[in-house]
Amino acid sequence: MNIKRFLYGLAGLALLIGMWGIYDRFVNGHANTNYGSYVVWGLWVAMYLFFAGVAAGSFMISTLDFLFRIPVFKGTGRIALWTALVTLAAGLTSIGLDLGHMERIWKVFLQGNPSSVMFQMVWGYTIFGVLMLACLFLAIRNPEGRLLRILMGIGLALSLFVSGAVGALLGVQAARPFWHVGLFPVQFPFFSFASGAAVMLSVLAFLGPKDDPNRKQQLWILGILSVVMVLVKLYFMWADYSVSVYGNVPQNVAAVREVLFGPYWWAFWILQLLIGTFIPLVVLLQKRLVEKTLLIGWMGVFLLVGYAVARGLIIFPALTIPEIESLATAFGGPHLTFDYFPSSVEWAVTIGTVGMATLGVLLGGEILPLYRQDRKKGKA
Amino acid sequence: MKKRTTESLSRRDFLKFSGAAVSFLGSLELAPEKTLAAIKTTIERRPLEFEVSPEDDQIMRMQSDLQRALAKPVEERRWVMVIDLRKCLGCHACTIACVVENKLPPGVVYRPVMIEELGTYPNVAMRFLPRPCMQCDEPPCVPVCPVNATYKDENGVVVIDYDQCIGCRYCVTACPYGARTFDFGALYTDETAEFEGIIFGKPSASAYERSASYEYGEARQRNDGDSSPIGNVRKCHFCLHRLKEGMLPACTTTCIGRATYFGDANDQDSLVADLIASPNVMRLKEELGTQPRVYYLT
Repeated sequence: MNIKRFLYGLAGLALLIGMWGIYDRFVNGHANTNYGSYVVWGLWVAMYLFFAGVAAGSFMISTLDFLFRIPVFKGTGRIALWTALVTLAAGLTSIGLDLGHMERIWKVFLQGNPSSVMFQMVWGYTIFGVLMLACLFLAIRNPEGRLLRILMGIGLALSLFVSGAVGALLGVQAARPFWHVGLFPVQFPFFSFASGAAVMLSVLAFLGPKDDPNRKQQLWILGILSVVMVLVKLYFMWADYSVSVYGNVPQNVAAVREVLFGPYWWAFWILQLLIGTFIPLVVLLQKRLVEKTLLIGWMGVFLLVGYAVARGLIIFPALTIPEIESLATAFGGPHLTFDYFPSSVEWAVTIGTVGMATLGVLLGGEILPLYRQDRKKGKA
Repeated sequence: MKKRTTESLSRRDFLKFSGAAVSFLGSLELAPEKTLAAIKTTIERRPLEFEVSPEDDQIMRMQSDLQRALAKPVEERRWVMVIDLRKCLGCHACTIACVVENKLPPGVVYRPVMIEELGTYPNVAMRFLPRPCMQCDEPPCVPVCPVNATYKDENGVVVIDYDQCIGCRYCVTACPYGARTFDFGALYTDETAEFEGIIFGKPSASAYERSASYEYGEARQRNDGDSSPIGNVRKCHFCLHRLKEGMLPACTTTCIGRATYFGDANDQDSLVADLIASPNVMRLKEELGTQPRVYYLT
């Protein structure tokens, strides 16, 4: 079966499932979600962090073409920019639905609190989104122009800032020892770059022009980049977890236990480590396998699954540990529990946003000249 | 014969009472706001005109302290709450009083009482720890709000502007005490069966549940849909609307063990000022630098 057709089918189905979730969200509000007043951020926030990371990372990858002018990546910039825009839209959908009053989002712009990291993130991503649109416009109209290069330079700095802000959003919270890590704002731009490399690995492997002479080299380089980033990520995780456990701060140790041996063990060991890390690591290190573009594309998907799960495993465990131990049983009621597993509505919306992003990438390739390239310059 | 007369009188009294009750409940159901307003106008607030000595009931003393504090400029008051853990019985009356006072929906709680089991059998004990909002002087929930919807007001109480809050819940994650809950829009009568013609059934309860709450001195009807405070973060506010009317917070007046104290710590003659000068006073998670205004006596 043609991979494009398969992806269209899958994305369409996902979008349909998502429509049901979004319908339920609008009709019943937050009633059918499983996040609550204790585990206050759930799957939608985790997916927002994931998509925002993919967007910033895709932009970083697009700078390889339009800012650093690396010949082998010639012609990949536009689709990377488009992927960044589409995934940012998916992320904003996810977080928009998570808000109690999404109709008041304008208040962040007109009546905001600049000292709030969330304010800085909202502004940062808005400017980033507008800048990406401008870059894409210029990349289609005048890819060799100086203005594009300047904007790409600003965009690169902005992508580092917005990724770092995601880390800071969590890192500034002294109330949550598991998040209160000074290096989070440093780690998150790495996570974003890793996500960007993974998504481009999939996009180029599945949808990239087959007659592009640089394609295999692009996939090989992105694969090696992904391997390096996965190892960096593993190191960060090891550092966070080992320091937490060694330091023996009860809330930290409890959070690490939740991930390794608690209710999320399967997500960590199977999805994040086996599927999201180990298998891609083995496949991508073998140069002969770069010929098998479909396999490489799926490795990109596997990596993305691992990164998405990693976002969840940063968010949930910090919240499933009570701030005060006996709070868990102090008062009963709906949404007052420290256990969390996403509800069917949450899953449906998440599947829908993934479908939306996939469909966006596919349709963008059909409508916009995202893969068209100048052969002469590409070879130069 | 005499017995028979008593019985017939009782029945008559019962019918009279029933009639009155039905008309009262009917009026509540039809126009609860009007009825409540009518009740409110019949209650006249009279200033305290009696001397309070230290031997008097603590509630009376706190009431007197409160009147003194309210006579001062607002910036000179420092509202604090003191909870004596040795006196708390774990009856949860404060929790329920708070739920009723603020008409809290399911899943929203401002003042849970946490129960801790201490020791190993046979040397065991239970400790009850009521946990209102700490009204921190350095509140971690305030600077994180992206829209300034939560802030310390002129009373030094951390409040939430329901019309400003976007419901992002960042403040909930920032609170080290778990003192904030999110209003998911639930009603106690959501799953209640409806029986036609029964006055005590769902329609009456639902009408009561949807009638206005007076938090922050604003009448907010709990309508269908997602109008605030549905979709907002909510928290204890030391019953500011009651303080404004010269009344102590609901949890304080309801405490049957006299374990909860409230007043102005800047007033050296107040009960709370006395209490927080004790050597056995502590505050929760002081190491975080939040400077809570809720003190515990241990």
